[in-house]
Amino acid sequence: MNNKANHSVAFQNDKKQAKGEEESKEHGDVSPEMLIKHPLQNTWTLWFFKIENNRTWEDCQMEIASFNTVEDFWALYNHIESASHLKLGCDYSMFKQGIKPMWEDEHNCRGGRWLINLNKQQRATELDNFWLEVLLLMIGEAFAEHSDEVCGAVVNVRSKGDKIGVWTADVKKGESILKIGD
Amino acid sequence: MSASPVARQAVAQAVPQNIPRRVTINSPAELPNDYSTTPGGTLFSTTPGGTRIIYERTFLMQMRNSPLAKTPPKNLPVIPGVTAKDTEVVHRENGTIVEEPEKPEATDVDNQFEMDL
Repeated sequence: MNNKANHSVAFQNDKKQAKGEEESKEHGDVSPEMLIKHPLQNTWTLWFFKIENNRTWEDCQMEIASFNTVEDFWALYNHIESASHLKLGCDYSMFKQGIKPMWEDEHNCRGGRWLINLNKQQRATELDNFWLEVLLLMIGEAFAEHSDEVCGAVVNVRSKGDKIGVWTADVKKGESILKIGD
Repeated sequence: MSASPVARQAVAQAVPQNIPRRVTINSPAELPNDYSTTPGGTLFSTTPGGTRIIYERTFLMQMRNSPLAKTPPKNLPVIPGVTAKDTEVVHRENGTIVEEPEKPEATDVDNQFEMDL
């Protein structure tokens, strides 16, 4: 049922811009725009997964925080470890509030996912960039009307190779899924 | 100028809009400061068919260093290696890019927890 795609190519353009902006300026005067929080279309929840002995898989999913503004997203993102520094076997997931990062959730169970497979070298070079791009696409509602078909995304840090999956709501909505994949 | 938040019409994009009036722009100075306003006054606060709050990547990236994003969220749970320092993990200072020496892949302890899904 999965819509698999090897997507690395499509994401590479975006990556080049990232560096410059990260280094960008400490502003002298603060514009009013910087003082107002910018609301998001959806409230999102970040989850962390780490397998622990004597816990069920579901209980190993820890809710970290929820946010519904651009600034609160960054406040969270800026203060957590990057995906590439998680221990092997751990995941981050970001889903719309009310959707658990598991297939059994009623919002996910009819859906599929787009998958980006990364090789081992890409953990150091690409993983954080790709993951951030996916997060920004989701919170910015970059899939336009198809954004409603997006449930969330998961990054798996694994020794065999990391994965980033974008989970969609309904495999029957073929057109939306393809647009999201673009 | 980079993109500000744009509340774009998400549906019925094909439906032509009746624009009540036109505003001629003669110089860049007449452009609004913010994409959520339109020259000569904002025409609509909502769009037919509902609005979706859309942010472009450039704008989101700019907001990364907003003063409002510098404080960690309240009630952030303490999770070693995620929200708190872990002995094995060196935290990078926000915004600085420090090339850390690559750590050896996977210690034995890590491997025993590995699960491929």
